Amino acid sequence: MKLNCEREQILSPLQAVIGVVERRQTMPILANVLLSVRDGRLSVTATDLEVELVAAVTVSGAESGEITVPGRKLLDIIKALPDRVEVKLSLEGDKIIVRGGKSRFTLSTLSATEFPTVDEINPTASFELLQVDLKRLLEKTQFSMAQQDVRYYLNGMLLEADGKLLRTVATDGHRLALCELELKTPSTLNQVIVPRKGVLELSRLVGQEGSVLIEVGSNHIRATIGDIRFTSKLIDGRFPEYGRVIPNKPPRTVKADRDLLRHALQRTAILSNEKYRGIKLALRANVLTIMAHNPEQEEAEEEVEVGYEGDSMEVGFNVNYLLDALGAIDGAEVELGLTDSNSSCLVSLPGGGAARYVVMPMRL
Amino acid sequence: MSRSRCILHVDMDAFYASVEVRDNPSLAGLPLVVGGMGGRGVVAAASYEVRRFGVHSAMPMSEAKRRCPQLVCVAPRMARYRQVSELVFSVFEQFTPQIEGLSLDEAYLDISASLNLFGSPRTIGEQIKKRIYEATGLCASVGAGPNKLVAKIASDMDKPNGLRIIEDSQVAAIFRALPVYRLHGIGKKTAAQLEALGIATCGDLSQATDAQLKPVFGRYASAIRARARGQDDRAVVSDWEEKQVSAEETFAVDLHRPEALRREIVGLADRAASRLRHKALVTCCVTVKIRTADFQTLTRSHTFAPPTDDTRQITQIAQHLLQSWRALVPDDKVRLLGVSLRDLAPATQLDLFASAAIESSVHTQPNGQQATKRLDPLLDGIRGRFGAGAVTRASALPTKTPPDP
Repeated sequence: MKLNCEREQILSPLQAVIGVVERRQTMPILANVLLSVRDGRLSVTATDLEVELVAAVTVSGAESGEITVPGRKLLDIIKALPDRVEVKLSLEGDKIIVRGGKSRFTLSTLSATEFPTVDEINPTASFELLQVDLKRLLEKTQFSMAQQDVRYYLNGMLLEADGKLLRTVATDGHRLALCELELKTPSTLNQVIVPRKGVLELSRLVGQEGSVLIEVGSNHIRATIGDIRFTSKLIDGRFPEYGRVIPNKPPRTVKADRDLLRHALQRTAILSNEKYRGIKLALRANVLTIMAHNPEQEEAEEEVEVGYEGDSMEVGFNVNYLLDALGAIDGAEVELGLTDSNSSCLVSLPGGGAARYVVMPMRL
Repeated sequence: MSRSRCILHVDMDAFYASVEVRDNPSLAGLPLVVGGMGGRGVVAAASYEVRRFGVHSAMPMSEAKRRCPQLVCVAPRMARYRQVSELVFSVFEQFTPQIEGLSLDEAYLDISASLNLFGSPRTIGEQIKKRIYEATGLCASVGAGPNKLVAKIASDMDKPNGLRIIEDSQVAAIFRALPVYRLHGIGKKTAAQLEALGIATCGDLSQATDAQLKPVFGRYASAIRARARGQDDRAVVSDWEEKQVSAEETFAVDLHRPEALRREIVGLADRAASRLRHKALVTCCVTVKIRTADFQTLTRSHTFAPPTDDTRQITQIAQHLLQSWRALVPDDKVRLLGVSLRDLAPATQLDLFASAAIESSVHTQPNGQQATKRLDPLLDGIRGRFGAGAVTRASALPTKTPPDP
């Protein structure tokens, strides 16, 4: 195997895939990336057995072949070479020689046949959408995914399409985020759960321009973004019936200026209990009072003018959950839909909107 | 347990009394005690000046006054001691997260993992003493040893303002000569029993036979023998998690009338619940502690779910526990009552997918609960600003009936 290219040409695919090369590997080969040259194209593959990334680039002076090399070392070397320098890679015996300018590096290798790859995912559904739309679906919901929850099916993001709408849902059991997108060409996708790691990698890959092809098989999801191919295993489990926990027309609605409310919450949060982040919301006609206190008996109180016509009520929340939701909503005005101090709060644009958030209260 | 453990026992010298002297230097050098001044008051802390008269903590105040007529007594200011205690504990935190507080003025620290970072046990002990002095102006005694038992013995050896390191190799010799009553759990009575068997030191005790010890210690005989050799593998349990929140009261006069008992238990439950909310915790277990006039102490507990921080609910459970005890022994007089709340959890975050349970709890809630949900924080707020005695539940006040005999 042999190839010539400019430093930048090989740097970009390496940088695209390096995120899945974990630093602490139980299997030595997972610290390596697979370099594969075929028909004048170099593809770089990295995997952690859950998520696989392949990035390809056209190179010159190519001789076909496959080999795996230590991923982070190769990236560090290429990164440290001077800009635009000509880089030559060649396999000599069981070593890879990297030449650039007057530098020469000899790297160890492991056989390409040992490297685990996912080739065919046998897609049963596929659709194309704008990268910016996918980015939005992911970013509006990913912060609500659980982390290492025993309910393993919560450690990821639900993706589903029912005809016209493509939907992402994430929940950690305390709060839930949902975002919808209208598909240009109707498509159906049964519920799948993309693991947390895959969601985070994918949202790192999608940009502002161009489109992305999504394919879903029975065990994998694949996204092709230009020269980069993302493949992730799916979580084999049943996502909770999220529709049941989204309040339907909650009886009390509060309209507020998003930034005003957000800033008031941020200030109040300073004196909430650092561990549990509890704050109390007290509502009366057109006034929302936000209160917090901590074990040192320090107290914060904020009054926010809101649109509210119901009777007085109090409810406690983890302030971080409210701030996450408010941070994700686009729009100058938000609506909080409340029932009582034991029931969830719906956060959305007035009257709904594509992104909706449900936050369960804290009993304070 | 690994042999490489290193435990410190830090004990503030005459803590309450020293705080009083520091806050009011005119008390310096006087035979000072801190404690209740009423007829049944006890000495909570004794300065080193007054200890020369044989006055020590837990002694009835009347006895202390008899031994030292010129004694100066000040009422305890727990809020102030807690403040100073926080400063002391924040010094500990600079050296290890493994801190087991025994009281406001005493703690075990597991510094096994800190030795590489901060130096020898002696260096750490010196640093802790120095920083406590800088932060509070108070002296502490520090003992270091391979386990909690040895560390505690060590801190006591050079008191006050002491620092004693007992190395592994010294444990045997030191314990051989140690009088048995220095071991925790061996009081006057047990020491006398052992003395009768010819056992005066831990050395004697470690050599004693089962036949000698079984009648005194029962099934703990072999455990006691290990302790007499300075062996102890209890871990330092850091109290990150609060274990309990409680309130208790020793009465000036033994109580008997149901009305008086009810009033006290309501007040105690209220105080404990208020502390619980202050710490942003909820409880699943209410325990009532009762000490009768003849010094019998017993507890009654009730565990329940879901957890609560509601004064009204806690009070009802405490009252019920007290009454069910009372029904069995209607004539016993009560010297002390306490309410403690255990199985604590942080204020509960409700779960989205447990909504069925939530709905049912809403419907079964007694009407009063919503009202007390508003009342409790209001009372806490008033107490926070004006002190714990600023507002009291009417049910905790004496009625117009004649006072308890």
